[in-house]
Amino acid sequence: MALRTRRRRSPISAPSGVGVFVMRCWAHRTPLAARLLVSVALLGACGRTGDRRVAVTRAAGAITVTDDAGRVVTLPAPARRVVSLAPSSTELLFALGAGEQVVGRTTWCKYPPAALAVPVVGDGLNPNLEAVAARRPDLVVLYRSPLNETAAAQLARIAIPAVLVKQDRLEDVARAARLLGTLTGHAAAGDSIATAVDTALRTAPPSSRHVRLAFLVWDNPPMVIGRGSYLDQLAGLAGAVNVFRDIAAASATVSLETIAARDPEVIVVLDDSTPAPAPAYTARPEWQAVRAVRQRRFLQLPAAVFGRPSPRTAEAVAELRRRLEAWR
Amino acid sequence: MKWLGLVGLALVALALAVLLGPAHVPLAELGTSEIVRNLRVPRALLGFVVGGSLAVAGAGLQALVRNPLADPFLLGLSGGAGLGAVAAIAWHLGGPWALPLAAFAGALAAMALVFRLGLVGGAELDPRVLLLAGVAVGAFAGAVTTAIVSLSEAAQLRNAFLWLWGGLSGASWEALLIVCLYVPVPLVTLFAAARPLDLLALGEEPARYLGADVTAVKRRVYIAASLLTAAAVAVSGVIGFVGLMVPHLCRGVWGQRHRALLPASFLGGGVLLVLADTAARVVVAPHELPVGIVTALLGVPLFAVLLRRWTVT
Repeated sequence: MALRTRRRRSPISAPSGVGVFVMRCWAHRTPLAARLLVSVALLGACGRTGDRRVAVTRAAGAITVTDDAGRVVTLPAPARRVVSLAPSSTELLFALGAGEQVVGRTTWCKYPPAALAVPVVGDGLNPNLEAVAARRPDLVVLYRSPLNETAAAQLARIAIPAVLVKQDRLEDVARAARLLGTLTGHAAAGDSIATAVDTALRTAPPSSRHVRLAFLVWDNPPMVIGRGSYLDQLAGLAGAVNVFRDIAAASATVSLETIAARDPEVIVVLDDSTPAPAPAYTARPEWQAVRAVRQRRFLQLPAAVFGRPSPRTAEAVAELRRRLEAWR
Repeated sequence: MKWLGLVGLALVALALAVLLGPAHVPLAELGTSEIVRNLRVPRALLGFVVGGSLAVAGAGLQALVRNPLADPFLLGLSGGAGLGAVAAIAWHLGGPWALPLAAFAGALAAMALVFRLGLVGGAELDPRVLLLAGVAVGAFAGAVTTAIVSLSEAAQLRNAFLWLWGGLSGASWEALLIVCLYVPVPLVTLFAAARPLDLLALGEEPARYLGADVTAVKRRVYIAASLLTAAAVAVSGVIGFVGLMVPHLCRGVWGQRHRALLPASFLGGGVLLVLADTAARVVVAPHELPVGIVTALLGVPLFAVLLRRWTVT
């Protein structure tokens, strides 16, 4: 790991073409890696495939991948200074063993605890690009969203490579693990996480009775988790059934009366505080129409573990399965 | 006859709201169903009172500022209520009633500020200054709200915004009781100001010559309308268009006299909101739409047709 501390700087060169001025401004702060990227990209990126799997080509140490937005990203060598702009990618990088390469995170990247030592560069959506650039990254990991595609294009103008990673569903975790593993020189760790997640996804849920549950994310207006969310997948893997499976979206506003009519046996809430206080709406008169609220049948899950798809999915499934035993 | 029709319409709207819903309740179980008794009935009644209050507040404010564009949220109350609600969520104020109370407090603070600014020229409330102060206070509160939201964890506050767009999902017998104890005072104050409001329509000078205590009436109407709106926003968020459209629709039928216009607006506002809320619950079930969107979708085309008819004749 001593390699990382000795950062290589190259003499200032005068790049030609578009963005000369910008390049000059940044030349003295940009690692060799980033500028090499430009030349490699100009030489023509290989590995442009429509394959859903991560396309990887190694030409003389260079790494070329296709990210989740379909952009081809080439690094001359594994990234050494990574700014991670999504809690899910920060967690994944640490799980890959690339934690020491992470030099910037968002305010909301709080897991694992070691991540708290990494400097904060602001928010992950609509990031503060100057704060990101000030960390002199040779790779920026962004959550995939249209706004962040603009951010990636802006970063490209100052010769900082960025990848857009989607991590909304369990199957995304495996792909993201391989992608980030390859980019940070931890390809083997990426493969093993991907295999573990794939195995968890294929493991059949227990065949005993399925507990009918609802994930309630907000009370006024009532918002529940639908089929589009990874939490719905998690419930299925743990041998439960989400009573709002018919809603295709990740979450939706529904009527209180719909919740009362579907009558879930358990209401699941994500909350990190210990001990968890009963949700405030348990005291609201109108919520007494819901049987699970009336009978205080709440299952509190720590948001840090269950809040997003992550390498700890197998762990989360086992935990949820264990907690649900009480209601079977 | 006109009154009979309106009362009949109100009864039909309330009956529909109780009969229809995303959950299937057989007719035979209507009397015993928990869902009907504790969710649909209080929600329908609360919607009626809120809709009526907003419409009366709108009618009063339109007369006060002598501007047909006036609605209960023009004078900065929605901005204040939103700021209160978002602040309560951002600072994790607990308790089942924290959100409505914070929204109510925010609306009252905005009302006090606008009122004070409206008096900058002296003891007289100047409608033009009042309008400008309302828009300015609303914009300022909106900016502070957005600043809080952009600095906080996104998911929770996005939900707070959803609440702000209006919805009656917090309806309960308790909420209905509180509103029914509170609303009559400002409502009666506005009804009692019907005659001076008629005079005010002629202009402040003529109204004064005809014996109206213009200064006092303006203050009373502003405060009563704002108190009604603050209560409405506390229990149901910001529901647009009811306070703007219903008074205009009622003027088309009942004319300009406030003695008839204000009670008609109350009934009309109640009908519109109850129907809109029923549609919001039923049409896209199991999803639910913010009711403010439905009031606009239902009301605006109707309003456009009527506007056209009035301007042609």
